[in-house]
Amino acid sequence: MKKLKIRLMEKGTGVKQGVPINMAFVDLKDIKAIDITEEEAANIIAEYLDSPVAINIFDMDAITTTSDGIVVESAITTMAAGDKGKVHPEFGILNMEAMEVTENLITEEPHLKQIKAYNFEDNILFRGPNPAKKLIPVHNVVMTGAAINNNSATEVMNAVTMEEMLLPYLGQKQIMEDGDILLGVTGQEISVGIGMTVAEKFGRVFPTRQFSAGETAHGSGDYAKTLKENIPIIVAPKDVLAKYIIRALESGMVPGKDIGCSPAVLKVAHSLGTKIDLDNINNSAWEELNSIGIKKEDLEKPSPQMTKEEIIENVEKIIPGVSKPKRVDSKNVVKKISININ
Amino acid sequence: MRLMHTSLPEFKLKIQGAVLKGSPNKKLKIKGLESLKSAKMQSLRTGRIEKAVEEVSMDKESSEIEVIVMPRVPETMHTVIVKGYDKEENPTKAILEVINIIHPTEQVELDGFDNIDDRRPSIGKH
Repeated sequence: MKKLKIRLMEKGTGVKQGVPINMAFVDLKDIKAIDITEEEAANIIAEYLDSPVAINIFDMDAITTTSDGIVVESAITTMAAGDKGKVHPEFGILNMEAMEVTENLITEEPHLKQIKAYNFEDNILFRGPNPAKKLIPVHNVVMTGAAINNNSATEVMNAVTMEEMLLPYLGQKQIMEDGDILLGVTGQEISVGIGMTVAEKFGRVFPTRQFSAGETAHGSGDYAKTLKENIPIIVAPKDVLAKYIIRALESGMVPGKDIGCSPAVLKVAHSLGTKIDLDNINNSAWEELNSIGIKKEDLEKPSPQMTKEEIIENVEKIIPGVSKPKRVDSKNVVKKISININ
Repeated sequence: MRLMHTSLPEFKLKIQGAVLKGSPNKKLKIKGLESLKSAKMQSLRTGRIEKAVEEVSMDKESSEIEVIVMPRVPETMHTVIVKGYDKEENPTKAILEVINIIHPTEQVELDGFDNIDDRRPSIGKH
Protein backbone atom coordinates (compact mmCIF):
# COMPACT_ATOMS: atom_id res chain seq x y z
CA MET A 1 0.00 0.00 0.00
CA LYS A 2 1.24 3.48 -0.90
CA LYS A 3 1.70 5.97 1.90
CA LEU A 4 1.87 9.76 1.64
CA LYS A 5 4.14 11.36 4.23
CA ILE A 6 3.13 14.79 5.53
CA ARG A 7 3.98 17.14 8.36
CA LEU A 8 0.75 18.14 10.15
CA MET A 9 0.35 21.18 12.37
CA GLU A 10 -3.04 20.96 13.99
CA LYS A 11 -5.49 23.83 14.24
CA GLY A 12 -4.87 25.86 17.41
CA THR A 13 -1.07 25.45 17.42
CA GLY A 14 0.65 28.69 18.37
CA VAL A 15 -0.04 31.71 20.56
CA LYS A 16 -3.55 33.15 21.17
CA GLN A 17 -6.03 31.19 19.05
CA GLY A 18 -3.08 29.81 17.07
CA VAL A 19 -3.32 28.57 13.52
CA PRO A 20 -7.01 28.88 12.53
CA ILE A 21 -7.08 25.76 10.33
CA ASN A 22 -4.92 22.64 10.06
CA MET A 23 -1.63 23.02 8.19
CA ALA A 24 -0.14 20.26 6.06
CA PHE A 25 3.46 20.66 4.88
CA VAL A 26 4.52 18.25 2.16
CA ASP A 27 7.84 17.54 0.46
CA LEU A 28 7.47 17.21 -3.31
CA LYS A 29 9.93 14.29 -3.16
CA ASP A 30 7.46 12.36 -0.98
CA ILE A 31 4.73 12.94 -3.58
CA LYS A 32 6.94 11.90 -6.48
CA ALA A 33 8.13 8.85 -4.53
CA ILE A 34 4.63 7.36 -4.67
CA ASP A 35 4.01 8.46 -8.24
CA ILE A 36 1.01 10.73 -7.74
CA THR A 37 0.41 14.35 -8.79
CA GLU A 38 0.45 17.34 -6.46
CA GLU A 39 -3.29 17.74 -7.02
CA GLU A 40 -3.91 14.10 -6.09
CA ALA A 41 -1.77 14.55 -2.97
CA ALA A 42 -3.75 17.64 -1.94
CA ASN A 43 -7.04 15.77 -2.37
CA ILE A 44 -5.74 12.79 -0.38
CA ILE A 45 -4.78 15.09 2.50
CA ALA A 46 -8.13 16.93 2.36
CA GLU A 47 -10.02 13.65 2.41
CA TYR A 48 -7.90 12.28 5.28
CA LEU A 49 -8.34 15.36 7.49
CA ASP A 50 -11.97 16.10 6.46
CA SER A 51 -11.72 19.56 8.06
CA PRO A 52 -10.34 22.96 6.98
CA VAL A 53 -6.68 22.61 5.99
CA ALA A 54 -4.02 24.59 4.15
CA ILE A 55 -1.66 22.39 2.14
CA ASN A 56 1.79 23.68 1.18
CA ILE A 57 4.00 21.59 -1.11
CA PHE A 58 7.76 22.27 -1.07
CA ASP A 59 10.57 21.60 -3.48
CA MET A 60 13.51 21.52 -1.10
CA ASP A 61 15.94 21.70 -4.06
CA ALA A 62 14.38 24.88 -5.45
CA ILE A 63 14.94 28.45 -4.23
CA THR A 64 12.69 31.35 -3.32
CA THR A 65 12.82 34.88 -1.93
CA THR A 66 11.51 36.30 1.32
CA SER A 67 9.24 39.35 1.19
CA ASP A 68 12.27 41.60 1.72
CA GLY A 69 14.15 39.96 -1.13
CA ILE A 70 16.49 37.55 0.65
CA VAL A 71 17.18 34.50 -1.53
CA VAL A 72 16.90 31.23 0.37
CA GLU A 73 17.03 27.51 -0.32
CA SER A 74 13.75 25.61 -0.94
CA ALA A 75 10.41 26.94 -2.20
CA ILE A 76 6.69 26.34 -2.13
CA THR A 77 5.65 25.03 -5.55
CA THR A 78 1.95 24.43 -4.91
CA MET A 79 -0.56 25.72 -2.40
CA ALA A 80 -3.96 24.24 -1.73
CA ALA A 81 -6.89 24.55 0.63
CA GLY A 82 -9.16 21.69 1.62
CA ASP A 83 -12.40 21.32 3.57
CA LYS A 84 -15.15 18.70 3.95
CA GLY A 85 -12.80 16.13 2.48
CA LYS A 86 -12.16 17.96 -0.78
CA VAL A 87 -10.03 20.52 -2.54
CA HIS A 88 -12.20 22.92 -4.54
CA PRO A 89 -11.53 22.00 -8.18
CA GLU A 90 -11.56 25.62 -9.39
CA PHE A 91 -10.33 27.71 -6.48
CA GLY A 92 -8.67 25.24 -4.14
CA ILE A 93 -5.24 24.70 -5.70
CA LEU A 94 -2.63 26.87 -7.40
CA ASN A 95 0.90 26.28 -8.66
CA MET A 96 3.70 28.78 -8.25
CA GLU A 97 5.48 29.77 -11.46
CA ALA A 98 8.94 28.40 -12.18
CA MET A 99 11.00 31.46 -13.13
CA GLU A 100 13.77 31.45 -15.69
CA VAL A 101 16.56 33.51 -14.17
CA THR A 102 17.96 35.53 -17.07
CA GLU A 103 20.38 38.45 -17.12
CA ASN A 104 17.38 40.64 -17.94
CA LEU A 105 15.46 39.39 -14.90
CA ILE A 106 18.46 40.07 -12.66
CA THR A 107 18.76 43.60 -14.10
CA GLU A 108 15.08 44.21 -13.31
CA GLU A 109 15.33 42.52 -9.91
CA PRO A 110 18.81 43.18 -8.49
CA HIS A 111 18.20 41.12 -5.37
CA LEU A 112 18.49 38.06 -7.63
CA LYS A 113 22.26 38.71 -7.87
CA GLN A 114 22.29 36.56 -4.72
CA ILE A 115 21.55 33.52 -6.90
CA LYS A 116 24.96 33.77 -8.56
CA ALA A 117 26.67 34.72 -5.30
CA TYR A 118 25.38 31.56 -3.61
CA ASN A 119 25.89 29.32 -6.69
CA PHE A 120 22.17 28.64 -6.94
CA GLU A 121 22.08 28.90 -10.75
CA ASP A 122 20.96 25.27 -11.09
CA ASN A 123 18.11 25.61 -8.59
CA ILE A 124 14.67 26.55 -9.91
CA LEU A 125 13.27 29.83 -8.60
CA PHE A 126 9.64 30.01 -7.43
CA ARG A 127 7.86 32.97 -5.84
CA GLY A 128 4.14 33.44 -6.57
CA PRO A 129 1.78 32.18 -9.29
CA ASN A 130 1.43 33.44 -12.85
CA PRO A 131 -1.69 35.66 -12.77
CA ALA A 132 -2.73 34.40 -16.22
CA LYS A 133 -3.13 30.92 -14.76
CA LYS A 134 -5.41 31.76 -11.84
CA LEU A 135 -9.14 32.43 -11.63
CA ILE A 136 -9.15 34.57 -8.49
CA PRO A 137 -8.88 38.19 -9.57
CA VAL A 138 -6.70 39.88 -6.96
CA HIS A 139 -4.99 37.85 -4.26
CA ASN A 140 -2.69 34.87 -4.71
CA VAL A 141 -5.15 32.81 -2.76
CA VAL A 142 -6.83 29.40 -2.76
CA MET A 143 -9.94 28.49 -0.86
CA THR A 144 -12.20 25.56 -0.16
CA GLY A 145 -15.07 25.91 2.28
CA ALA A 146 -13.75 27.76 5.32
CA ALA A 147 -10.06 27.18 4.52
CA ILE A 148 -8.21 30.10 2.98
CA ASN A 149 -4.53 29.91 2.04
CA ASN A 150 -3.37 33.36 0.95
CA ASN A 151 -0.35 35.34 -0.27
CA SER A 152 1.20 32.33 -1.97
CA ALA A 153 0.86 30.18 1.16
CA THR A 154 2.21 32.59 3.79
CA GLU A 155 -1.05 33.60 5.44
CA VAL A 156 -3.95 31.34 6.43
CA MET A 157 -7.48 32.22 7.44
CA ASN A 158 -10.71 30.58 8.47
CA ALA A 159 -13.48 32.23 6.44
CA VAL A 160 -16.11 31.30 9.03
CA THR A 161 -14.40 32.15 12.34
CA MET A 162 -12.47 34.90 10.51
CA GLU A 163 -9.29 34.06 12.44
CA GLU A 164 -5.98 34.55 10.69
CA MET A 165 -2.30 33.65 11.07
CA LEU A 166 0.88 34.71 9.32
CA LEU A 167 3.39 32.06 8.23
CA PRO A 168 6.35 33.88 6.66
CA TYR A 169 8.45 31.60 4.49
CA LEU A 170 11.46 31.09 6.77
CA GLY A 171 9.29 29.66 9.56
CA GLN A 172 7.86 27.11 7.13
CA LYS A 173 11.37 26.30 5.92
CA GLN A 174 12.35 25.57 9.52
CA ILE A 175 9.38 23.18 9.83
CA MET A 176 10.41 21.35 6.65
CA GLU A 177 13.96 21.06 8.02
CA ASP A 178 12.82 19.96 11.51
CA GLY A 179 14.34 23.10 13.05
CA ASP A 180 13.21 25.41 15.82
CA ILE A 181 10.39 27.89 15.22
CA LEU A 182 9.17 30.96 17.04
CA LEU A 183 5.48 31.05 17.96
CA GLY A 184 4.12 34.44 18.89
CA VAL A 185 1.96 37.41 18.05
CA THR A 186 3.02 39.41 14.99
CA GLY A 187 3.59 42.73 16.75
CA GLN A 188 4.17 46.16 15.26
CA GLU A 189 7.64 45.67 13.76
CA ILE A 190 6.74 42.69 11.56
CA SER A 191 3.44 44.35 10.66
CA VAL A 192 5.54 47.18 9.20
CA GLY A 193 8.32 44.91 7.91
CA ILE A 194 6.18 42.69 5.70
CA GLY A 195 5.29 45.76 3.67
CA MET A 196 8.94 46.56 2.87
CA THR A 197 9.01 44.37 -0.22
CA VAL A 198 11.09 44.21 -3.38
CA ALA A 199 9.78 44.46 -6.94
CA GLU A 200 9.17 41.01 -8.41
CA LYS A 201 7.46 39.62 -11.47
CA PHE A 202 5.04 36.92 -10.24
CA GLY A 203 5.82 37.82 -6.64
CA ARG A 204 4.37 36.11 -3.62
CA VAL A 205 1.91 38.96 -3.00
CA PHE A 206 2.03 41.12 -6.13
CA PRO A 207 1.96 39.75 -9.69
CA THR A 208 3.87 42.73 -11.13
CA ARG A 209 6.84 44.81 -9.99
CA GLN A 210 4.69 47.16 -7.96
CA PHE A 211 6.85 48.17 -4.99
CA SER A 212 10.64 48.45 -5.14
CA ALA A 213 13.26 48.25 -2.39
CA GLY A 214 13.05 51.45 -0.36
CA GLU A 215 9.28 51.65 -0.75
CA THR A 216 6.40 50.35 1.32
CA ALA A 217 3.60 48.24 -0.09
CA HIS A 218 1.40 49.31 2.81
CA GLY A 219 1.73 53.08 2.39
CA SER A 220 -0.45 53.57 5.41
CA GLY A 221 1.71 55.69 7.73
CA ASP A 222 1.10 55.20 11.44
CA TYR A 223 -1.49 52.52 10.73
CA ALA A 224 0.96 50.08 9.09
CA LYS A 225 2.17 48.92 12.50
CA THR A 226 -1.37 47.96 13.49
CA LEU A 227 -2.36 46.05 10.32
CA LYS A 228 -1.28 42.58 11.51
CA GLU A 229 -0.18 43.54 15.02
CA ASN A 230 -2.53 41.32 16.98
CA ILE A 231 -2.70 38.15 14.94
CA PRO A 232 -0.59 35.06 15.70
CA ILE A 233 2.49 34.26 13.68
CA ILE A 234 5.02 31.47 13.21
CA VAL A 235 8.49 32.56 12.12
CA ALA A 236 12.06 31.34 12.11
CA PRO A 237 13.98 32.18 15.30
CA LYS A 238 15.84 35.50 15.05
CA ASP A 239 19.31 33.90 14.91
CA VAL A 240 18.20 31.94 11.83
CA LEU A 241 16.75 35.06 10.23
CA ALA A 242 19.96 36.97 11.01
CA LYS A 243 22.11 34.34 9.27
CA TYR A 244 20.15 34.70 6.03
CA ILE A 245 20.23 38.50 6.23
CA ILE A 246 23.99 38.51 6.92
CA ARG A 247 24.60 36.20 3.95
CA ALA A 248 22.67 38.58 1.70
CA LEU A 249 24.50 41.63 3.04
CA GLU A 250 27.89 39.96 2.63
CA SER A 251 27.02 39.14 -0.97
CA GLY A 252 26.76 42.89 -1.58
CA MET A 253 23.02 43.46 -1.16
CA VAL A 254 22.20 47.00 -0.09
CA PRO A 255 19.01 47.50 1.98
CA GLY A 256 16.77 50.16 0.48
CA LYS A 257 18.29 49.61 -2.97
CA ASP A 258 18.64 45.89 -3.72
CA ILE A 259 16.70 44.35 -0.84
CA GLY A 260 13.80 45.64 1.24
CA CYS A 261 14.19 48.05 4.14
CA SER A 262 12.41 45.94 6.77
CA PRO A 263 13.31 46.68 10.40
CA ALA A 264 15.18 43.35 10.70
CA VAL A 265 17.28 43.98 7.59
CA LEU A 266 18.10 47.59 8.56
CA LYS A 267 19.08 46.70 12.12
CA VAL A 268 21.32 43.80 11.08
CA ALA A 269 22.96 45.89 8.32
CA HIS A 270 23.67 48.73 10.75
CA SER A 271 25.06 46.34 13.37
CA LEU A 272 27.30 44.68 10.78
CA GLY A 273 28.32 47.99 9.22
CA THR A 274 27.34 47.27 5.62
CA LYS A 275 25.94 49.96 3.36
CA ILE A 276 22.29 51.03 3.62
CA ASP A 277 20.84 53.27 0.89
CA LEU A 278 19.14 55.59 3.38
CA ASP A 279 18.41 58.24 0.73
CA ASN A 280 16.58 55.76 -1.49
CA ILE A 281 14.12 54.88 1.26
CA ASN A 282 11.10 57.03 0.49
CA ASN A 283 9.09 59.20 2.86
CA SER A 284 6.19 56.75 3.15
CA ALA A 285 8.57 53.99 4.22
CA TRP A 286 10.31 56.29 6.71
CA GLU A 287 6.96 57.31 8.16
CA GLU A 288 6.17 53.64 8.87
CA LEU A 289 9.69 52.92 10.17
CA ASN A 290 9.62 56.00 12.41
CA SER A 291 6.32 54.85 13.90
CA ILE A 292 8.11 51.81 15.38
CA GLY A 293 11.22 53.72 16.45
CA ILE A 294 13.51 53.04 13.45
CA LYS A 295 14.99 56.50 12.74
CA LYS A 296 17.23 57.64 9.90
CA GLU A 297 19.45 59.59 12.32
CA ASP A 298 20.14 56.45 14.34
CA LEU A 299 21.11 54.50 11.22
CA GLU A 300 23.40 57.40 10.18
CA LYS A 301 25.38 56.98 13.41
CA PRO A 302 28.58 54.93 13.15
CA SER A 303 27.99 51.19 13.07
CA PRO A 304 29.15 49.17 16.06
CA GLN A 305 30.88 46.96 13.41
CA MET A 306 29.82 43.79 15.13
CA THR A 307 31.00 40.43 13.88
CA LYS A 308 28.57 37.85 12.58
CA GLU A 309 29.01 35.89 15.77
CA GLU A 310 28.31 38.95 17.94
CA ILE A 311 25.14 39.68 15.97
CA ILE A 312 23.89 36.11 16.40
CA GLU A 313 24.76 36.24 20.11
CA ASN A 314 22.89 39.53 20.61
CA VAL A 315 20.19 38.95 18.03
CA GLU A 316 17.29 39.29 20.47
CA LYS A 317 18.38 42.88 21.18
CA ILE A 318 19.12 43.68 17.52
CA ILE A 319 16.13 42.31 15.57
CA PRO A 320 12.83 43.71 16.81
CA GLY A 321 9.45 42.03 16.44
CA VAL A 322 7.17 39.19 17.64
CA SER A 323 5.22 39.68 20.86
CA LYS A 324 4.85 36.85 23.39
CA PRO A 325 7.57 34.81 21.64
CA LYS A 326 7.93 31.14 22.44
CA ARG A 327 10.77 29.20 20.80
CA VAL A 328 9.94 25.56 20.27
CA ASP A 329 11.39 22.59 18.44
CA SER A 330 9.07 22.28 15.42
CA LYS A 331 9.13 18.51 15.88
CA ASN A 332 7.20 19.01 19.14
CA VAL A 333 4.32 20.88 17.48
CA VAL A 334 4.31 19.31 14.02
CA LYS A 335 3.41 15.64 13.68
CA LYS A 336 4.91 13.50 10.94
CA ILE A 337 2.22 11.18 9.68
CA SER A 338 1.75 8.77 6.79
CA ILE A 339 -1.59 8.57 5.03
CA ASN A 340 -2.53 5.21 3.57
CA ILE A 341 -3.63 5.49 -0.04
CA ASN A 342 -6.15 2.99 -1.35
CA MET B 1 -34.44 33.94 -24.59
CA ARG B 2 -30.81 33.40 -23.67
CA LEU B 3 -30.14 37.11 -23.34
CA MET B 4 -33.22 37.97 -21.32
CA HIS B 5 -33.05 38.97 -17.69
CA THR B 6 -35.57 38.67 -14.89
CA SER B 7 -36.18 41.45 -12.38
CA LEU B 8 -35.24 40.78 -8.75
CA PRO B 9 -38.84 40.87 -7.41
CA GLU B 10 -39.95 38.55 -10.18
CA PHE B 11 -37.07 36.19 -9.42
CA LYS B 12 -38.21 35.98 -5.79
CA LEU B 13 -41.82 35.41 -6.85
CA LYS B 14 -40.78 32.64 -9.22
CA ILE B 15 -38.83 30.91 -6.43
CA GLN B 16 -41.83 31.24 -4.09
CA GLY B 17 -44.09 29.84 -6.82
CA ALA B 18 -41.78 26.88 -7.33
CA VAL B 19 -41.92 26.04 -3.60
CA LEU B 20 -45.73 26.21 -3.67
CA LYS B 21 -45.80 23.57 -6.39
CA GLY B 22 -44.52 21.16 -3.74
CA SER B 23 -46.99 22.24 -1.10
CA PRO B 24 -48.45 25.55 0.15
CA ASN B 25 -47.29 24.55 3.63
CA LYS B 26 -43.58 24.37 2.82
CA LYS B 27 -41.42 27.15 4.19
CA LEU B 28 -38.93 29.15 2.07
CA LYS B 29 -35.84 31.09 3.12
CA ILE B 30 -33.85 33.08 0.56
CA LYS B 31 -30.41 34.14 1.79
CA GLY B 32 -27.73 36.25 0.13
CA LEU B 33 -29.89 38.77 -1.71
CA GLU B 34 -30.67 40.95 1.32
CA SER B 35 -28.47 43.85 0.22
CA LEU B 36 -29.76 43.92 -3.36
CA LYS B 37 -32.42 46.53 -3.91
CA SER B 38 -32.64 46.23 -7.67
CA ALA B 39 -31.06 43.73 -10.00
CA LYS B 40 -31.63 41.88 -13.23
CA MET B 41 -31.21 38.14 -12.85
CA GLN B 42 -30.08 35.89 -15.71
CA SER B 43 -33.34 34.43 -17.10
CA LEU B 44 -32.02 31.10 -18.35
CA ARG B 45 -30.56 30.41 -14.91
CA THR B 46 -33.69 31.70 -13.16
CA GLY B 47 -35.65 29.01 -14.98
CA ARG B 48 -33.16 26.31 -14.01
CA ILE B 49 -33.20 27.47 -10.36
CA GLU B 50 -37.01 27.50 -10.39
CA LYS B 51 -36.90 23.91 -11.63
CA ALA B 52 -34.37 22.95 -8.91
CA VAL B 53 -36.50 24.56 -6.17
CA GLU B 54 -39.58 22.79 -7.48
CA GLU B 55 -37.70 19.48 -7.52
CA VAL B 56 -36.57 19.84 -3.90
CA SER B 57 -40.00 21.09 -2.83
CA MET B 58 -41.73 18.11 -4.48
CA ASP B 59 -39.60 15.84 -2.32
CA LYS B 60 -41.92 14.73 0.47
CA GLU B 61 -39.12 14.68 3.04
CA SER B 62 -38.25 18.37 2.53
CA SER B 63 -40.54 20.58 4.61
CA GLU B 64 -38.38 23.69 4.37
CA ILE B 65 -36.50 25.01 1.36
CA GLU B 66 -33.44 27.25 1.61
CA VAL B 67 -32.13 29.10 -1.41
CA ILE B 68 -28.68 30.58 -0.84
CA VAL B 69 -27.06 32.94 -3.31
CA MET B 70 -23.31 33.36 -2.78
CA PRO B 71 -20.38 34.49 -4.94
CA ARG B 72 -19.31 31.77 -7.38
CA VAL B 73 -15.81 33.28 -7.53
CA PRO B 74 -14.88 33.53 -3.85
CA GLU B 75 -13.01 36.82 -4.10
CA THR B 76 -15.15 39.75 -5.13
CA MET B 77 -14.07 43.32 -5.89
CA HIS B 78 -16.34 46.10 -4.73
CA THR B 79 -16.52 49.84 -5.10
CA VAL B 80 -17.15 51.58 -1.81
CA ILE B 81 -18.86 54.97 -1.95
CA VAL B 82 -18.53 57.21 1.07
CA LYS B 83 -21.13 59.99 0.87
CA GLY B 84 -21.74 63.04 3.06
CA TYR B 85 -24.88 65.17 3.27
CA ASP B 86 -25.65 68.51 4.96
CA LYS B 87 -28.56 69.14 7.32
CA GLU B 88 -30.88 69.68 4.37
CA GLU B 89 -29.70 66.36 2.95
CA ASN B 90 -27.88 68.02 0.08
CA PRO B 91 -24.79 66.12 -1.08
CA THR B 92 -21.56 67.52 0.38
CA LYS B 93 -18.73 65.17 -0.58
CA ALA B 94 -18.27 61.68 -1.97
CA ILE B 95 -15.17 59.49 -1.98
CA LEU B 96 -14.82 56.33 -4.04
CA GLU B 97 -12.72 53.49 -2.70
CA VAL B 98 -12.31 49.80 -3.49
CA ILE B 99 -12.34 46.70 -1.32
CA ASN B 100 -11.71 43.06 -2.19
CA ILE B 101 -13.67 40.54 -0.17
CA ILE B 102 -12.70 36.90 0.32
CA HIS B 103 -15.62 34.53 0.87
CA PRO B 104 -15.91 30.91 1.90
CA THR B 105 -16.86 28.52 -0.89
CA GLU B 106 -20.08 26.49 -1.08
CA GLN B 107 -18.77 23.66 1.11
CA VAL B 108 -19.59 25.67 4.26
CA GLU B 109 -23.28 25.51 3.33
CA LEU B 110 -23.37 21.79 2.64
CA ASP B 111 -22.72 20.31 6.08
CA GLY B 112 -24.57 17.01 6.47
CA PHE B 113 -25.71 16.76 2.85
CA ASP B 114 -24.81 13.48 1.14
CA ASN B 115 -27.15 13.93 -1.81
CA ILE B 116 -25.60 16.82 -3.74
CA ASP B 117 -26.24 17.30 -7.45
CA ASP B 118 -23.82 19.93 -8.77
CA ARG B 119 -25.40 21.24 -11.96
CA ARG B 120 -23.14 24.26 -12.41
CA PRO B 121 -21.22 24.53 -15.65
CA SER B 122 -17.51 25.23 -15.35
CA ILE B 123 -16.42 28.86 -15.10
CA GLY B 124 -16.81 30.60 -18.44
CA LYS B 125 -19.57 28.28 -19.69
CA HIS B 126 -22.58 30.17 -18.47
